Amino acid sequence: MKGPSMLNQICALTIKDLRIFVKDPAALILTFLQPLMFILIMSYALSGLYGGGDRPIRFLIVNQDQGRQAAAVIKDMQTIKSFALETTWKDAPLSRQSAERLIIEGKRNLAVIFPADFSAALEQGPGMQERRTAKVIVIADPALSSQFVDPIMGTLNGFIERRSFMAMVPKGIDYLYEASSPVKPRNDRDAFKAQAERAMEGGLSGKENKPVTLEQVSPPGMHVEKRPNAFQQNVPGYTIYGIFWIVSLLAGSVLREKREGTFRRLLIAPMGRAVMLIGKLLPFYMINLMQLIFIFALSKLLFGMTFGHSVAGVVAVSLAVSACATGLGIFVAAVARTEAQLGGLTVLLLLGLSALGGCFVPRFVMPSWLKAVGLATPHAWALDAYQDLLVRGYGFAEVLPKVGVLAAFAVLFFVIGVWRFRFE
Amino acid sequence: MIDVRGLIKRYGSNAVVNNISFSVAEGEIFGLLGPNGAGKTTVISILATLLHPDGGAVSISGYDVTRQANRVKPMIGFVPQDLALYPTLSAFDNLSFFARIYGFKGKALSDKVESSLDMVDLRNRAHDAVQTFSGGMKRRLNIAAGLIHDPRVLFLDEPTVAVDPQSRNFIFEHVEKLKRAGMTILYTTHYMEEAERLCDRVAIMDHGEILALDTPKKLIGLLASGLIRVKLPSDKVPVVAAGARDLPHVREASSQDDVVKIVTDDPLSTLPALIRLCDARSAAMLSLEMLEPNLETVFLHLTGKRLRE
Ligand SMILES: Nc1ncnc2c1ncn2[C@@H]1O[C@H](COP(=O)(O)OP(=O)(O)OP(=O)(O)O)[C@@H](O)[C@H]1O
Ligand SMILES: [Mg+2]
Repeated sequence: MKGPSMLNQICALTIKDLRIFVKDPAALILTFLQPLMFILIMSYALSGLYGGGDRPIRFLIVNQDQGRQAAAVIKDMQTIKSFALETTWKDAPLSRQSAERLIIEGKRNLAVIFPADFSAALEQGPGMQERRTAKVIVIADPALSSQFVDPIMGTLNGFIERRSFMAMVPKGIDYLYEASSPVKPRNDRDAFKAQAERAMEGGLSGKENKPVTLEQVSPPGMHVEKRPNAFQQNVPGYTIYGIFWIVSLLAGSVLREKREGTFRRLLIAPMGRAVMLIGKLLPFYMINLMQLIFIFALSKLLFGMTFGHSVAGVVAVSLAVSACATGLGIFVAAVARTEAQLGGLTVLLLLGLSALGGCFVPRFVMPSWLKAVGLATPHAWALDAYQDLLVRGYGFAEVLPKVGVLAAFAVLFFVIGVWRFRFE
Repeated sequence: MIDVRGLIKRYGSNAVVNNISFSVAEGEIFGLLGPNGAGKTTVISILATLLHPDGGAVSISGYDVTRQANRVKPMIGFVPQDLALYPTLSAFDNLSFFARIYGFKGKALSDKVESSLDMVDLRNRAHDAVQTFSGGMKRRLNIAAGLIHDPRVLFLDEPTVAVDPQSRNFIFEHVEKLKRAGMTILYTTHYMEEAERLCDRVAIMDHGEILALDTPKKLIGLLASGLIRVKLPSDKVPVVAAGARDLPHVREASSQDDVVKIVTDDPLSTLPALIRLCDARSAAMLSLEMLEPNLETVFLHLTGKRLRE
């Protein structure tokens, strides 16, 4: 028998741990199903918040207006893609009562009610007489956050103000004309009005060629094809979260081999300690890569996720973040002495790092000190790098610095882990 | 084959192996006997390159186990006291993993694994997970795993602890077969009857020291035809011990705390004389034991302690 080769030994160790992994349903659920489940639930749950997804913000519209002005506002609202307006429920027109009931029953969470005197209020003539005010009522489920409702209120307000201005312009011209030259004959007055309106056309009355328009663009250098939807926000976040569960598997496997004495058998075999370590890291690194392929492939199939322009970039980030996760695994294996310690420690560590790193809640909503703390986690860098590629449309070269940071984390974990590692 | 000189291992200030020396010839079965905590596993771990000694020298086939561990490792096989197998993998996968680690490949690998499974009579359970095995089956597989690379030297650390009689017999026969095939075996146990049956020579250990080392026959010979132990009030011990030396057939009489130990060629003639002696010295016998000569009794004789209590 020739001496065993290192490569064969590493293969044997790797195959062994992969075999143990596929025979462990709990491990499979933890690494493969858990992130997928979070992605599904969270994406459907939060799709309204992120908007732009396939689920628009739904409004119930109750139009009691006797004139044409409310209809015009509703038409304006319909130009916004992420708004879906419903004026009927089960083929019957909505009333205030039926809209309220739908919100109470939790079937919808927003309703806008235009009052009967809406047009009358908009179209009232200028002058010194008593002003009429009409109240547009927005009924919102109290469970909706103000971050969600406030921008909607602002949008609605904008539309109503524009309508009311446009409704008042002809009346205003009338008033000005009569107030300044009450003696002019009637046909002169019509000609003046038409002239004044033409002069303001496209300007104040906002028909065409608006003087000010809004255009939505991305920062220079980002080649965005479309806005991120909830899945594009959540898939990288929960994938990274799921990747790091390898820490629990790897460290658990090391402690189990120590406890069960199989490590001692390996220590007696003609095999270097480096081979033993590589043979322990490689299978879990491979499991990480399989997790990534599994989650990304399913995201593409199920939600039509797109992965940006740079396959190389996605691969580089994936390799780096997996190295971080396996590295952290060997680190934890070196620090934890017992399996009981390991259980508590890893759950705390993994949830904490993921939360700080923005896997659950995007980091841009965090206060700045928390954002700064988050930079100490590989999760934040990985998430940012994935979103550069998936959402911001960056290429390989642009994510390289972040890949570098991830690689530095990985090296740090490996070095400390290997240094503190005990084989017995 | 195995040479141990002045071996010392300390944990803190506590020397758990305290300056022991012995050597084992090629093809010999050598027993390390001793009660719990005697230091048997510690010695075997040092020999198997798992632990570094704090003093002394150990060599196997001329190679130093600390400095030339790489030369030693391919030669040695180890069957640990506790099972060391992957419980969720099958017997076949366990053995083929260990075989691969030792360099087996392809056809040679599967042949080797199958013959190993045959050897320990687990062929029909080859593809079941080890965790579904009985205790005895696991022990047998544990032994097969230590032998997968046909080592020249085998360390067996209490292979029969918590084993049913059937598996135990299987293990005995297996060890005898390995001996016939010329393997050198170091066997630890605290069952003296095992050592008597299997070992060419035994070392009796307690508190990290070797108390006696010889063939089982010679060790038992120390006891002539039997050992009589009589417990007396402590003030009477010296006089009775002195008087006992002159009784018929007595080889040796000595005292240990409040017990007088008498080695005799004919216990049945010595006993009545001893009773008369105690009577004459007005020493009330608190207890009296007559023990047949075996390793168990040798251990009691040497240490005043029973192996299992
Ligand atoms: N890692 C350790 N640290 C401190 N003391 C230890 C350690 N390992 C063993 N010992 C001590 O060394 C002594 C010898 O232990 P060892 O395991 O060699 O005994 P043994 O003869 O194999 O006993 P048993 O029959 O119970 O297996 C014991 O007192 C034990 O407590
Ligand atoms: Mg022991």
